[in-house]
Amino acid sequence: MTATRDSAAPTPSSPEPKLGAVPSFDVTLRIRRFLPESGKDEAYWEEFTVTAYGTDRLLDALHQVKWEHDGSLSFRRSCAHGVCGSDAMRINGRNRLACKVLLKDLNPDKPITVEPIKGLPVIKDLIVDMEPFFASYREIMPFLVTNGHEPTRERLQSVAERERFDDTTKCILCAACTSSCPVFWTDGQYFGPAAIVNAHRFIFDSRDEGGSQRLEILNDKEGVWRCRTTFNCTEACPRGIEVTKAIQEVKRAMITRAI
Amino acid sequence: MTSITSIPAPRSPRVRTSRRTTRGNFELYGWIFMRVSGVVLVVLIFGHLFTNLIAGQGIKAIDFGFVAGKWASPLWQVWDLFMLWLAMIHGSNGVRTIINDYAERDHTRLVLKIVLVAAFLITVVLGTLVIFTFDPCPAGGPINLLPSFCSA
Amino acid sequence: MQIHQYDVVIVGAGGAGMRAALESSTRTRTAVISKLYPTRSHTGAAQGGMCAALANVEEDNWEWHTFDTVKGGDYLVDQDAAEVMAKEAIDAVLDLEKMGLPFNRTPEGKIDQRRFGGHTRNHGEAAVRRACYAADRTGHMILQTLYQQCVKNDVEFFNEFYVLDVLLSHDLVTGEVPDGEDVAVSGVVAYELATGEIHLFRAKSVVIATGGAGKIFKTTSNAHTLTGDGMALVYRRGVPLEDMEFFQFHPTGLAGLGILLSEAARGEGGILRNADGERFMERYAPTIKDLAPRDIVSRSIALEVREGRGAGPNKDYVLLDLTHLERAQIDAKLPDITEFARTYLGVEPYTEPIPVYPTAHYAMGGVPTTIRAEVLRSNAEVVHGLYAAGEVACVSVHGSNRLGTNSLLDINVFGKRAGIAAAEYAAGAPWVELPDDPEIGVVAELEEMRTRTDGDRVSDVRRDLQQTMDTNAQVFRTAESLQRALADIRGLQTRYRNVSVQDKGRAFNTDLLEALELGFLLDIAEVVVVGALNREESRGGHFREDFPKRDDAQYMRHTMAYRRPPGAVAPSSPVGAEAAAVVAATSRSGAEMATSRPGAATPGTFDVALGYKPVVVTRYQPMERKY
Repeated sequence: MTATRDSAAPTPSSPEPKLGAVPSFDVTLRIRRFLPESGKDEAYWEEFTVTAYGTDRLLDALHQVKWEHDGSLSFRRSCAHGVCGSDAMRINGRNRLACKVLLKDLNPDKPITVEPIKGLPVIKDLIVDMEPFFASYREIMPFLVTNGHEPTRERLQSVAERERFDDTTKCILCAACTSSCPVFWTDGQYFGPAAIVNAHRFIFDSRDEGGSQRLEILNDKEGVWRCRTTFNCTEACPRGIEVTKAIQEVKRAMITRAI
Repeated sequence: MTSITSIPAPRSPRVRTSRRTTRGNFELYGWIFMRVSGVVLVVLIFGHLFTNLIAGQGIKAIDFGFVAGKWASPLWQVWDLFMLWLAMIHGSNGVRTIINDYAERDHTRLVLKIVLVAAFLITVVLGTLVIFTFDPCPAGGPINLLPSFCSA
Repeated sequence: MQIHQYDVVIVGAGGAGMRAALESSTRTRTAVISKLYPTRSHTGAAQGGMCAALANVEEDNWEWHTFDTVKGGDYLVDQDAAEVMAKEAIDAVLDLEKMGLPFNRTPEGKIDQRRFGGHTRNHGEAAVRRACYAADRTGHMILQTLYQQCVKNDVEFFNEFYVLDVLLSHDLVTGEVPDGEDVAVSGVVAYELATGEIHLFRAKSVVIATGGAGKIFKTTSNAHTLTGDGMALVYRRGVPLEDMEFFQFHPTGLAGLGILLSEAARGEGGILRNADGERFMERYAPTIKDLAPRDIVSRSIALEVREGRGAGPNKDYVLLDLTHLERAQIDAKLPDITEFARTYLGVEPYTEPIPVYPTAHYAMGGVPTTIRAEVLRSNAEVVHGLYAAGEVACVSVHGSNRLGTNSLLDINVFGKRAGIAAAEYAAGAPWVELPDDPEIGVVAELEEMRTRTDGDRVSDVRRDLQQTMDTNAQVFRTAESLQRALADIRGLQTRYRNVSVQDKGRAFNTDLLEALELGFLLDIAEVVVVGALNREESRGGHFREDFPKRDDAQYMRHTMAYRRPPGAVAPSSPVGAEAAAVVAATSRSGAEMATSRPGAATPGTFDVALGYKPVVVTRYQPMERKY
């Protein structure tokens, strides 16, 4: 089915023209649908054509489909500006947040393919079961571990010590990295980049004392050693975290500890 | 409303996954081995290629006698033995990770790994036997092919 | 239907909800119900910082912080609450640090602090460094840290469960509570998004921590999910909403998009300029200029644009100039917001100023609570076992205008208090009998909405609501514009009775939930507009062009909005003729029989009945607010 919006239809009333005054243009979305209750067991592709403006994100286009064409299209979203991590999906074959992809940056000549992220069970349309992802996250003890008495005031930490793990504090648990990893795709047993990134955030925090336990956990057969440094995760991270580098740093810490 | 059915667990309590923990330093040492053996193999293989193909008369010198002569020396026996073992372990381990990465079902993995181990064992055992039991002067061999030190 | 029983049920897993959960779950059996995965909550979008008078970088004390909060809120702040918050701020920050929050550090290794709007030394002398921060992602770090601690403490989460009703022992909307009887909470009814199943949670204490309602506006920094659920749920059950007319418009949203650019940009030295390049805040707030409270800066920006000094092809925004700052400073202190400018507007903040315009940001009002986070059902009586914290609540520490950073403080201080109070109450309280068939109202509403075959689109009604709110009830308001907004809302409420959803399934029916959320938005928008119409003065975030002055004689008091049958009087324990209840002035005809079923308002069924609550004044008498 192709639903095409009548080009003569009034555009959503917006008194102030969008910034940059980019004229409207049509984009076609090719969306991977899966409706478990429809009786169809298989996923299928469906195309929608919507009108977009200069500053519209892919999320706006998905909303236009949901709100004006087909209300059953289901996807997660919340903040709509790339900090909550709800709307990671595979856009033109790359894992992205739908709210951080501007339509004008995509080639308008071809349909934009939108699929759920890979490697996690699809529940409905673009919604996947995130539980295996969070299970891995919970396993690496993602919290500060300290021993002994707490100081009355704050723990001291130098600017350099704080800087050491700054990159990996940015993670929003969107699963774009983990679900871009070919090793994770195979059987989903690999801890995945996101869990390792969050372990890294604590292993390299000067205040933390649980580093060796975390290294022990990640020394698993399904731990860091399954990383093949394909850099898919680094490429996919919407927060610009150097994921592969973080994984390598964890490997190095493990070897230093073992030898 | 007084009866309360208890629900065993909500959807996302913190539960350990069913994943078996397989901890130990095997993968760690495996990872280090791959890097170290890789470097050593570069030296061994290029040394091998140099002596066989470039040094002396170069490629024209290779014949049964040349090989037999080399294996008469303990240095080359050890050299080739290292090359064989390191290459086989390195390569087999690489294939093992490829099987882990690409074979999705446990059954497929098991079968492929059995084949891999069998191939490894056959190659390594045969190769080792050849290196150590090699007789440079087999009785009744054509005299023109044997190395010069074989007393006729 | 599934039935669960917990001592404490916390609704919402943002900063306040998780902070409460950390306290409550160590004391008693606790469940957290959230319509999102906890880390998706909008606390994570907060950027600038969290103020506490740690005095790590310069002299400071909590009394100055209290004063700034009171003055920033244009004296509508309950000063006892502000004092509690400013005092406990210090421990709140230290608690977070001990939980592992990676604050930026001073060269000595202590928590670094920076300037923020409205925070001053010695009662307004000059800007003070009080905001503790982690780059420009302080909220993200708080949310992650709290979630990490919840993982550590095995907190039980019910993720992607929508609470659709709060069960009370008495009908407060249409019924009378006999003297001497206590009203108590008995649980909540929730809808599991994944399956469409109804879950009944029986609880001794319920903590509401569902956040704000920014989606009543079109241009907003709020998430799509901030639809005022918690506020609307208790309001529909007859609990009042306090000071809802005060909505904060953040001065620096990305023009046209509303995405937030933190005040920290100005705290680090950023300057607002109009089309002529003039630093116009010098005219409006000569002392602290660009760091004036948000309501003042927002109005100034809107005024610059209205008077034709806006920048851009349509002269409809002003410019936030960071170009004079060191690149290293921008990278270290403001990495995220500069990336927003690059991603969404294609502007390079190193070299170009960023187009900004005010964006709806924060509801100062909400569910009225005591400083122990207990929900008030009138000026003095509480609903036993019901607590609220965070943006959904109105303690009131923000008065008519919240200072930057005080929201992160609010969730931590009052989230903690709510968690402790809820657990302690649950320890000693008896189980309250559930009503018969407690889920029946929710099930009926859901089924009616899901099966309605044809009707208006949810998105059309929502868009019209957001449009009228942006046009008529934003930074500048008049009686006329508010009347227009109210008429529109009433019309939309009628249309809402006839909206239908396309998705008829049960699994992950987000279409259906968006429809219910629209019902919440309509209720909240009505309360906002009725309150704004009634408050004939200008104070903090509420600016009436027809009444541009603050009027302490008449309006130095909190608005309390109750849902009651038409003609009913608000139960705000009148202390004199002056406090007599006001009922929203709209003519009604053919009123249906009011029922206490939950659900969105149909015009004519219920009214917004207004009452008042006095402001608690301890140290600071109202003065003129100059910066």
